[in-house]
Formats: sequence, structure tokens, C-alpha cells
Amino acid sequence: MTTINREVTPQDPQDLHSDLHEVWGNPRGLKAFTIVNHTTLGLRFMVTGMAFFLIGGILAMLIRTQIATPDQNFMTPEIYSQVTTMHGTVMMFLFAIPILEGLAIYMIPKMIGARDLVCPRLTALGYWCYLFGGIILCFSMVIEMAPDSGWFMYTPLSSSEYSPGLGSDFWLLGITFVEISALSAGVELVVSILRTRTQGMALHKMPIFAWYILAMALMIVVGFPPLILGSILLELERAVGMPFFDIAGGGDPLLWQHLFWLFGHPEVYIIFLPAAGIVSTLIPVFAGRPLVGYGWVVFAITVMGFISFGLWVHHMFTVGIPQLAQAFFSAASMLVAIPTAIQVFVWLATLWLGKPKMKLPMLWIVGFLVIFVCGGLTGVMLALVPFNWQVHDTHFVVAHMHYVLVGGMLFPLMAGIYYWLPLFSGRMPSETIGKWGFWLVFGGFNATFLIMHWTGLLGMPRRVYTYDTGFGWDIFNLLSSVGSFVMSAGFAMVIIDIALHFRYGKPAKHNPWNADTLEWANSMPPSAYNFVSLPVVETRHPLWDNPDLPRTMREGQHGLPTISHGRREMWGTDPLTGKLREIIHLPGNSWWPLFAALALAVVCISLLLRWYPVAGIGVVIAVGFILRWSWENGAHPKAAPDAHVKAGDPPLHSRTMDGPGLWAMTTAMIANGSFFLSYLFGWFYLWTVSPEWRMPDESPLSLIGLCVAGVAAILGWGLLEKAVRGLREKNDKGLAFNLYGAAMLGAVQFGLVLWVLLNANLAVTETTHDAIIMVGLAYALLHSGLGAVMALLQGMRVGYRFVGAHAPFEPLVVTYFWRYSVLVFWMLIVALDILPRVIGS
Amino acid sequence: MRERFLHHAALACIQRAALRRVNRLMVILVALGLAGCAGDRSILDPAGQAARDVVLIWWVMLTFATVVFIAVISLWLYTFKRKYHERTPQQERKIARRWVIGGGILLPVFSVSALLMFGVPAGKRMLPLPLGHPVEVIEVIGHQWWWEVRYPGAEGGEVVTSNQLVLPAGEPVDFHVTSADVIHAFWIPRLGGKIDMLPGRVNVIRLEADEPGVYGAQCAEFCGAQHTHMDLHVEALEREAFEAWLEDRQAERLAELALANDEFAQARDTFSSSCAVCHSVAGISSSAIGPDLSDIGARHTLGAGVLPMEEGAIQYWLENHQTLKPSNKMPSHDYMETATLESLGAWLESLTP
Repeated sequence: MTTINREVTPQDPQDLHSDLHEVWGNPRGLKAFTIVNHTTLGLRFMVTGMAFFLIGGILAMLIRTQIATPDQNFMTPEIYSQVTTMHGTVMMFLFAIPILEGLAIYMIPKMIGARDLVCPRLTALGYWCYLFGGIILCFSMVIEMAPDSGWFMYTPLSSSEYSPGLGSDFWLLGITFVEISALSAGVELVVSILRTRTQGMALHKMPIFAWYILAMALMIVVGFPPLILGSILLELERAVGMPFFDIAGGGDPLLWQHLFWLFGHPEVYIIFLPAAGIVSTLIPVFAGRPLVGYGWVVFAITVMGFISFGLWVHHMFTVGIPQLAQAFFSAASMLVAIPTAIQVFVWLATLWLGKPKMKLPMLWIVGFLVIFVCGGLTGVMLALVPFNWQVHDTHFVVAHMHYVLVGGMLFPLMAGIYYWLPLFSGRMPSETIGKWGFWLVFGGFNATFLIMHWTGLLGMPRRVYTYDTGFGWDIFNLLSSVGSFVMSAGFAMVIIDIALHFRYGKPAKHNPWNADTLEWANSMPPSAYNFVSLPVVETRHPLWDNPDLPRTMREGQHGLPTISHGRREMWGTDPLTGKLREIIHLPGNSWWPLFAALALAVVCISLLLRWYPVAGIGVVIAVGFILRWSWENGAHPKAAPDAHVKAGDPPLHSRTMDGPGLWAMTTAMIANGSFFLSYLFGWFYLWTVSPEWRMPDESPLSLIGLCVAGVAAILGWGLLEKAVRGLREKNDKGLAFNLYGAAMLGAVQFGLVLWVLLNANLAVTETTHDAIIMVGLAYALLHSGLGAVMALLQGMRVGYRFVGAHAPFEPLVVTYFWRYSVLVFWMLIVALDILPRVIGS
Repeated sequence: MRERFLHHAALACIQRAALRRVNRLMVILVALGLAGCAGDRSILDPAGQAARDVVLIWWVMLTFATVVFIAVISLWLYTFKRKYHERTPQQERKIARRWVIGGGILLPVFSVSALLMFGVPAGKRMLPLPLGHPVEVIEVIGHQWWWEVRYPGAEGGEVVTSNQLVLPAGEPVDFHVTSADVIHAFWIPRLGGKIDMLPGRVNVIRLEADEPGVYGAQCAEFCGAQHTHMDLHVEALEREAFEAWLEDRQAERLAELALANDEFAQARDTFSSSCAVCHSVAGISSSAIGPDLSDIGARHTLGAGVLPMEEGAIQYWLENHQTLKPSNKMPSHDYMETATLESLGAWLESLTP
């Protein structure tokens, strides 16, 4: 099925456009809230990200005003703590990650020749969660109740005892809410890149940017869950008094630091990788030749992704961990220099062998290099433990971090924005204003932060709201502050340039930079469906190798140009080879993502206000909305009731046993597994390391009860596997029975776990041991309950004929969930009950 | 084992030789005004071996990093200027491989190895390894927002003081640090690295001051609204002076001092009825919620670095401390008469052993 003979008669692009637009086009007015299209949502992500960048920037200016001169009273200490905490939080969680996700959401389908991301409604849910979470978090500043324990929320300072207000709660709940968005984007970017590349685009032929985004998305999937777990535990400690991080109950504040940096260090690379992807995309275009050493770069990205999960302890060199561990993490931290250097030299070699042109985007790339290499070099210095002990928590580290993050993320992002502006708008920005903006930002940045290294070496600790004169810090702080205002002026210039260009920019010619990748085969600005027809691409540089491609695509000479069936369709292809596998039909615009996000916002707010019954109702409603949204799948009238496809085309994905949904479920379970492993890490960490850990002599749990529950889960899972086996043979006899049976066994498991929990008499506010067991059992309850409900709904769908031998896909997805659920349940039994019995306390 | 020791010794020798040179360079830099008027918290002005090692490492790393930086940036910029040559794909591959392997792999591997060889011995010296002779132990406990300092090894019983740290010069001292509330960090920049002070745990760091003198220190881990005002006055004394200092602070002597003067009887009553709930003064009260005040008259600052200790400073502090150090944990004294505060201040100022 790889090569399909198509009619190659060109058709009128205008007709094709109006047909496709009918199905794909965005509605206006109130219905704009239902849009699920990646182009629109990608732009919304980026614009919202810029808005939060302005907020974060204003906070930065407040900070620099306060410490410009010694003994200032511009802000009270409380406000200053809130401002520094929020500056870090907003920039990291509400600007850096979402804007890069937005760029990836916008760009990835266009680059790999797809029409949308693979889970469009999830994109929308992610956006709304981001927006609402961000607003809730920033609202805390309006009422002067913003978090104030520093952006990494070290406990016990962030605990209810030392931060009694709502500040920490805003942080924990708001950030967790926003992280739903990061995880959704992570999951669907992984699946989209692996399963929806256009025909023929093998993994090693995809644009290098897609590799970077694939790595970023996988890192989000694995890296964010530890922080989500940490936030849930800390919020439980604050709200209910479960002592996870409190020494007296047997907890350990260092557990928070481990969980935070288990997330926090990969996060640096989650931010850096997409930015480096922009660099790797732009340099070949402006050098006029392919990237030298594509394989080297892929290797470097992979190594970076893995190493970055082994570095978190270098943020904790001063907490008093054993020397051997320090040496290990010190060496590992320095090793990251290798993949970074490989990329820097690949870029250099590409420029060396090409004919580089210094256009505006390239200027930002060179700025990136200067700043990022500086930051990288100080990073290697900081990895050296004795030096780290001196400069840790001083302005030297603050300077280093800004060099890495601003150099490594913001400069490439600006380069990328200038590069893709003609695609966004169809117009060119002004080179003159753009250059002014660049030089002001570049000069201002270095004035601020190069000098700040020195302030740190002179001994100025970070996060002090004022300082006495006489330490030699005065003049350097003043210079840094002046620099920061110059930088702000530069950003104002850039923003004005971008805003003005939408109206006054010269109309851009098609593919203005003579780029090689498919996004430039779009119309400028792009249409909602991206491409009229989907080409076979077997080269890394489709537009260089076939400059005619945009025209033939517009004329419908490639795949899937017909839309008379009214479905939103694109290719589903093999993850490795890019061979055609199926037609993916995508859901259209929907209210459910917005409603689900609104319900989650209600949950978030009522948790903040400690209205727990309301929060409970909110959770039920949110889950209800999401299940309702999942109802519109398969052979549902709003999805694909009619499975008819054109002769020669592959089947619809809902009519196969291998749709992208399986990949989405698997990726989601990787995230879930990362959460679970973080939990097990916490359990064993507290058990072995916590200074006051207390374990009862007798396990409080009923082993028999748990084992019977585990057996019920296995039986339910067996029924599902049986159902799936039947479906593979196109046989749906007894399908509903098997599904209902699994649902019942899931309910039995749920009931037994609940019984074990209620009979355990856990003193969850007294000891960490009991509290952490409680969390484990709650996790098991959630999974058994969800498994039962999903199997039940599938059974009902069989009754409606949405699922069956004719549309066999969904039960398999549910089975994947059950496999995971059974596995972790038994792991829980072993970890929480059997091991303590065997080893003893 | 012996070889390794010799190896370390040789490295240390090279370090010392290099340091002499670096120091000479430093003198020039300071003369150029680059180092500015380095205050008593500058890492670049070391006063102990540990800090000196780090400064040496820093200057070496900076030099090396500058060379790498200039080389990489120049190469990049050069590519925009140089003429384009047509090359065969084989030639291109060869050139590319040379850049990537040379710059991408060999350069970082070489730099990192050199750095580790240089840095690891320095790190080792800062560890509290057994020395073969007893080492002075000083306990430091962080509080929001002040320092409790204890000398468990003092002859004649433990000595306790607050917001000042006196140590013997010219010998290694082990600091056992912990916290009574949130996480703080103990750091005397001119003597060496920092270590976190965690509730429920005791961390140890070994530092040494070469010469007697005064060194600045302040909490390095963000610990709340008044993290800024958590200074520690550090003073190194010759061994004998140090022991004399300890002896002056024996509980009986301090108690005598506190009860000595009858004109302060009123102030002592006020103290007992109002302040003693939190503060201790030897012979009168023993509460550890707030700083111990038994030798407060002899300290250099008030409020952990907020005010210099002068005549009348304590009264001024008692009247204005919530403005001088907002949110500090001591309740306001608005309800007290000025005269009462004045006598209280005068008495406390007299507590100079």
C-alpha cells in the first residue's frame, strides 16, 4: 500500500480551497471558543505566552528597581518576595514552556505534512487549562497573596506553618493546573510526530526540528509528573496536614527538593531543545545548504535527553549529600557539555561549508551563540563542586541561569519568530527597527547579567531585598539595573516591530527565505487545513529538491484532496518508515474541551478556597465532560459513521486495530508511570533516608484483601484481552459481555481496595508512613475506578453499535490502560505491603 | 594510597605556585579598580585555604573559558566573512567530521577532565575528614532570622551566644550546622564554601581562617521575608584570645554580670516579666525561642546586622524593630513606656563580659 497511483490532473486550487474550508474552517463569534485547530491554538498559545512574558518582564523591572541602589524602600520585603517568586514562576511555567509548546503545536503538523495534530480536542483542553491556570496564578498578585517562598517552593518555608496564607496554594494548584496543559501537549506531539508524518517521511527523513520537539515532548511526558506528585503531596500537607515533608511526622523536606529538581533539571532542557531546534532549522536555510551531520545532531539530542534526567542533584550540592553522589552528579553535569558542544560545532561546520547570510533572524542566532556559550561555560564551572559551594545561591548563579535560559531559549525564539513571521502574517518585518531591537536587547542583557556574575563573586546572595553599602556591590547593581531597562526598551521595540508589521509590513513573497521544509508549502498565512493534498516526501529537504511541490500540492495532485465525505482527514503512517497505514479522521470543533477546563478551573478555585464538596462535584463534572467527549469517537454520528474510503486508500483508523489512540494511551501511561515511579521513589527514599521515619511493626493493610483485588483486576484484564482477540478475528460475539464483565471486576477491585483502606485505620495526619500509604491506595482506587468506568462505557458503545467488529479500535485502547493498571497495582502491593513484611521496619 | 597522597601533594604544590602568580595578577586587577572596593564578603578576597583554592580554580577556569569563548565566537563570525569554496561531498564530510569530533567531543572531554583533576583535590580538603587530633567544634543553628551559636567543647561547660561567631584562627574548625525552622545556609565567603542548614539534620563543614580578623557572613538560602537581614558577625581570634573569650562567657560569669548592678533591678524585673518568655539571659531565664542575650552588650550589631551596636541602640531597636526589620518574630513594644525601654536597653548594653 506504499505507492498509490493517483489521478494527477491538476484541479482549480480555489475550488479545492472552498471545499476544504467548508469542513476545516474556523467558526466566528461565540463559536470561536470551540476551535480545536492547531494553527489557531498554536497562535493563541504564543500570544498568551507573550502576554505572560510582559507580566514577567514587568516583575523583573520591579526587582531591578528595588536593588538598583542600597537601602531602598521601593517595595516591602513581603511584596519583594512575591515579586521574585512570581517572576521566576511566570517566566518558567507561563512563558517559556507554553510559548515553545505553542510554536511546536503550530509548526509540527505543517513541517511533517499533516493537517492537524492527532488529538485536536486535547490541544484545546491544554490551551484552556494553561489560560485559566495562568490567570488564577496571576490573580494572586492582584490580591497581594502571591506565592512568596521562591519559585522552587522549598519546604518547610512553603509549608502551612511558615507560609500560612494562600500564596503557596496558589502556586501548587495553579502550576498543577497549567501542567495538565504541558502534559497534553507532550502526549499529542509525541504521537503526532511518530504517527502522522506524511507518506514516505521515514524517521531519519523528518525535519530536524521534529526530532527536537519529539525529544522535548518525551521529556515533558517523563519530567513533569515528579513535580505534579510533589505539588499534590505538598498541597495535601498544607490542606489536610499529611506530613510528607515534615520531620516530626517522619517526612523529609529534602524529598521536595528531589522531586522538584527531578522535574526542574530536565525542564531546562525541555526549554533548550526546541530553541536549539530553531537554531538547527534556521542555520541551514541561511547557510543555503543542508545541516551538516544530521545524525550527529540526533545523537546529541538523544544523549542530552537521557543525561538531563541524571543531573538533578547538581542543584543540591550544598544540602550535604554523600561525597560519592556529588562526584557522580558533578561528572554527569559536565558530560552534558559534550552533546551541547557537538551541536555548536555542527552549526559551525554548516556555516563553514555554506554561504551564510546575516539576515535579521541570523542576527538573533549569533546573539544566541554568544550568550549561550557563556552560559554553558559557567555551567561547567558550576558543576565543579568546590566552586559550586562558593557561588551557589549568589547572584553568580542568577546570572548563569539567565545566560542559559535567555541565551538558550529567548534569543532562538526571537530568531524563530522573525523567521516565521512571514508565514504567520504573509508580511515581512522591518529590518531597521528589528536591528535596533536586537542590539538594545543584546547590549542590555549583557550589561545586566555579565556584571551580575561579578556581583555574585563579591558575595551578594540571591533574593535579598536590599543590601548595605560597603560591600562593593552598589555600582554593579546600578549598572545591572540600567542594563535591564535598556533590554526592556529593546523588547518594546521588537514588540512594536512585530505589531506594526501585521499592518504595514511589505507583503512577503512565497517562501521568502528559500527554506527547505514543508511549512513553507502552506499559503501565507496558512489555511486551517494546511495542505490541499498530502505529498509523498522521501527527502529531508522537500522544497529544495522539488520547488514545484507547493503548486502541485495546492492543485490537489497528491493524497486526500477530496472532502465530500465531510470528515477531517489526514494520513496515519508507520512510525519508523513513514509507510502509509491508515486514514486518521479527526474530530471537529467541540465545546467539551472548554467545558472540561472550566470544570477543572472550578476544582482549582474551590480547592484554594477549601470548599472541598464543591471541588468534589467539580471533579465529577470534569470527568463527565471528558467522558462525554470520548463518546464522540468510532462510529458515532459525529465521528465516522460511514467507513467508506476512496478505492486504493487505506482504511479509517477507527476501523483498524492500530490507530494513533493506542500511541496516545501508551504515551499517557509513560507519563503515568513516571508519576508512579516518582511515588515509589518517595516511598523508598523516606523509608531509607528520612531522619525520623517510623514504620509500624505490623503492616496496617490486609494482604489478603489486596491480593483478592489484584486477582479481580487480572481476571478483568483477561476478559478484555479475550474481547480484543475476538475483534482481531473480526468476531464481536460476546464483546459486550466481556466488557461488562471487566467493568464489574474493576468495580470489585475498587470495592476491595476501598475496604482495605477503610479497615487500615490510617493515622494520615500523624505519620508520614500512613500518609504515603493513603496516597498509594488512592492511586489504586483511581485506576480501578477509571478502568471500570471505561470498560462499562465500551460495553454501552457496543449496544449503540459505535464499537464492534466493524469499528474494533477502542476496546484495545482500554485494554492498554488495564495492562498498566494491573501492573502498577501489583507493584503497589509488593512495595507497600509485602516488602515491609519481608524486610521489616 | 601513598601514591595518591603524593599525587595530591604535587597538585597542591602546583596550585600554590599558580596561586602566587594569580595573586600577583589580582593585585594588578585591584589596582585597576576592577575588583572595586571588595567588601568583607568577597569570594575573590580569600582568607582561608578552602576559599583560596576556589579562587584559584575560578581564575584558571575563567582564563580557559575566555579562550574557548573567543575561539568559538571568532570561528562563527569568520564563516560570514570567508569566501565560499566549492567542495566535493567527500571533502565536506571530512571537514564536518573534523569540526564535530575536534570541537564537539575532544574539546569538552579534555576540558572536563582537566577541570576534574584540578578541582577534585580542592574539594577533598573541605571535607571534615579525621585529622588525627581533635578539632574545635562549633554548632550553628539557623532561626528565622537570627543565628544561634554554641560551643559544646568549651572548658567549663557549653557556651551559647547569638548572631556572632568567634573562632580560633590558624586551625581547622568543624561547624555542625542545623536549623530550628526552615532551611538556611551557612556561608562565610572569605573562608570557604557554604552548606545548607536543614531542620532534622546536622551538616558539617570544615573551615579555617588564616589570620585573626573580622569576616562578613549572611544567610545564603532564601528563608523568608527577612532573609536579607540575617547577618552573622564572624571574628577569628588567636587561640588564647579565643579561649579567654569563651571563659568570659561561662554561665556563672554571665549570671554575675547580669545581676551585678542594683540600679538595673527594675529593668531585670521588666525583662523577667516580658522578655524572658522568649529570651534567655544567664542567671535570669532560659528560653530559646529568641536569641540568647547574655552577652549582647559586647556584640557588634543588633537584629542580625540591622543596627550597629552603640549607646542607646538597644532602646532604639526595641522601639522601632518592626520598621527596621519588618515581620521579625518579636512582638512590637508599643505598649511599653519609653522610660522602661530606656532602662531595659541600658541594662542589656551593660552585659559586656
